Amino acid sequence: MDIPALKAKLDEARYIYDDSLVTTLLVALKLGRPLLIEGAAGVGKTEIAKVMAHALDRDLVRLQCYEGLDESKALYEWNYQKQLLSIQVQMNRQDPDALTRSLFSDDYLLPRPLLQSIRAEKPVVLLIDEIDKSDEEFEAFLLELLSEMQVTIPEVGVVRARTIPFVVLTSNRTRPLSEALRRRCAYLYIQYPSLEKEVAIIRARLPNVNEHLAVQAAQAIQRLRGSDAILKKPSIAETLDWVSALEALGISDLTDESARQTLGFVLKSSEDLEAGEAVLSGKSGEDEGCGHAHDHQHGHCGHCAGAGSQ
Amino acid sequence: MTVYLEKLAEFSALLRQEGLPVGLQETADACEILSCLDLGDRGTVRAALQAVYAKSREEQAAFQRAFDGFFVSAEKRDALRRRHAAEAEALARRRAEAEQELQVNGQPMDLREDLQEVYIRMGDRSREQLRQLLEKTKGNLERSPQLYSNFIRSVFMRFLLEQQMTMEDAASGCEESDPDLALLYRDISHFRDADIPRAAALIAAISRQLDAELSRQKQGAAHSGKLDFRRTIRKGLETGGSFYRLAYRRKRRRKRRLVLLCDVSGSMLQFSEFALRFIKSMSEVSESSQTYLFSEEIHAVDPFALQNMDAFRDYVRASGLYGRGTDLGTALEKLCASRPAALGSSTTLLILSDTKTIDLPRAGRALLEARQRAGKVLWLNPIPERKWPYVRSIQTMQMLCQMLPCSTLDELARACRKMLK
Repeated sequence: MDIPALKAKLDEARYIYDDSLVTTLLVALKLGRPLLIEGAAGVGKTEIAKVMAHALDRDLVRLQCYEGLDESKALYEWNYQKQLLSIQVQMNRQDPDALTRSLFSDDYLLPRPLLQSIRAEKPVVLLIDEIDKSDEEFEAFLLELLSEMQVTIPEVGVVRARTIPFVVLTSNRTRPLSEALRRRCAYLYIQYPSLEKEVAIIRARLPNVNEHLAVQAAQAIQRLRGSDAILKKPSIAETLDWVSALEALGISDLTDESARQTLGFVLKSSEDLEAGEAVLSGKSGEDEGCGHAHDHQHGHCGHCAGAGSQ
Repeated sequence: MTVYLEKLAEFSALLRQEGLPVGLQETADACEILSCLDLGDRGTVRAALQAVYAKSREEQAAFQRAFDGFFVSAEKRDALRRRHAAEAEALARRRAEAEQELQVNGQPMDLREDLQEVYIRMGDRSREQLRQLLEKTKGNLERSPQLYSNFIRSVFMRFLLEQQMTMEDAASGCEESDPDLALLYRDISHFRDADIPRAAALIAAISRQLDAELSRQKQGAAHSGKLDFRRTIRKGLETGGSFYRLAYRRKRRRKRRLVLLCDVSGSMLQFSEFALRFIKSMSEVSESSQTYLFSEEIHAVDPFALQNMDAFRDYVRASGLYGRGTDLGTALEKLCASRPAALGSSTTLLILSDTKTIDLPRAGRALLEARQRAGKVLWLNPIPERKWPYVRSIQTMQMLCQMLPCSTLDELARACRKMLK
């Protein structure tokens, strides 16, 4: 696959891209390296894996990371109930060694996403989502898979990949990832889209939406993201939700009033809502500090100041 | 291919100098990927090499600088060549002028080569100022030639240091492409009021990272090696009484007590404010913490006054500590003498100060005593590390306890990480 072919596939999937993103995807594909994608929440990191699955015509296997995730949830687990039943059924068998061997065979193995992805007959896209939420031990455990495309199961031995999956790891940067993991990956950082790109995304995803409304909504979102007073910046998915909501309510022109009524689709805390209304109505006083209705003696307010500790 | 490889190896070496951990694998990958791309498209080459070489947002900024310096476009190369030729010509002219100007009684001035170079590269205005100063003090030449010579050298040395500091204080070149990243590496004392909300948001993000690291460190704590019978038996019930998985008792973590001593005299207030935001995120590791503010006196702080930074500023102003001199010796002596004892063997004493204090020897003695009482003493210093060799009080205090540079938010975060280990 080359750059024009990949672009055609992304167009087919109605994914809005820029040239550097396509080049990075191609680098990861050509080198057979996992792709580590970092960026703020909601910029479209996970979407890339889905789009690549579509572009490469592969299945998507997803592993959602969380604190405490271990190999029994990510790689494999023995089917204990089945093993116990089998022991009881075959208790009087003459050959106990054969029974023991059979207990640690494929029949009793429950493959989890990582094992599924390397044992698949057809290559898949493996999405390891929000890797920053997992523990450092799990990160270290992934190294063997990412560099050698194999895993070690103590009772079975080394399991080598039948097919090489295209691996996408995403991180919201809630903690720094280890150097060892980074070194094994191609790297992509995604920022919030520019105004033009955001309008293009709205057009691609919601083709029936009025053009004027799409531009107005994208402009409003850009202003909200650009404000220091908003702590949780709106994501692309929230932009799409907002535009859909406006469309459903029959609003074709975004006024202060209609924005205020529907801002809850974009901002999800009372402090952000308060600041967002001020930003959109042009009363934010950004130059003096932030958009909150506080005493601004010192050029910044308690809401912002307290943010670090909350 | 050999030419590519040689060039890429040179580029890899340049990236290593920029601080990127580039190995042979990256160079090989870069070579492989370039062989299947259109090399005529600069943007594509840049994006492809960036994906291979730069593995974080910070590394991307360094990569961009190195790439622009190494792979120069044809127009830029011509412009650069013309500029270099013009600069070389101007420099030669200035050298000739300097030879004329740096003379005493018709003889060339006794100056080191690097100091002469400082004069040559100085702006016209600074040169004029310096010439006037030399002219004004010329009378001293007859009275004491040696003293005059030392004076001249010290004047030039000062200009050299000022120039170096200006260079080092310059933004790291990424302000335009990434303002947040630039803020992370900018000297805290250079923050403007407009930067403060952005800095607060940045601190919040870094604090979240620190918290996440802490919680994972706790999770990952190794077990004590002792079997937890109760949990093992309970787990065994899930598998029909067979003990497939053994549960172990967790190691008990001994938390340390944190005592913070913050300098809030004049220029230190802003730094203390930022540092306290970080340190609050460390409340998870310390069993308890006590905060003291000092300038000429020392006050124990009511924890409620630290709830938000407006309250903190108001508290400092109301306490009468703000805008006064610094007396670290008195502060430490009072801290050591406090009853019940603030310092003990399980205490980490954290001093936030720029070391500028009255009566340095007394402060040194008091610090020694505090070090004997506390389990660990750490000093967070907002003065950039490169300036430490020129500040006597820093050199003195550095010999007495471990000092960590904290002039930027990035350094502050690193210091916090170090404290956690």
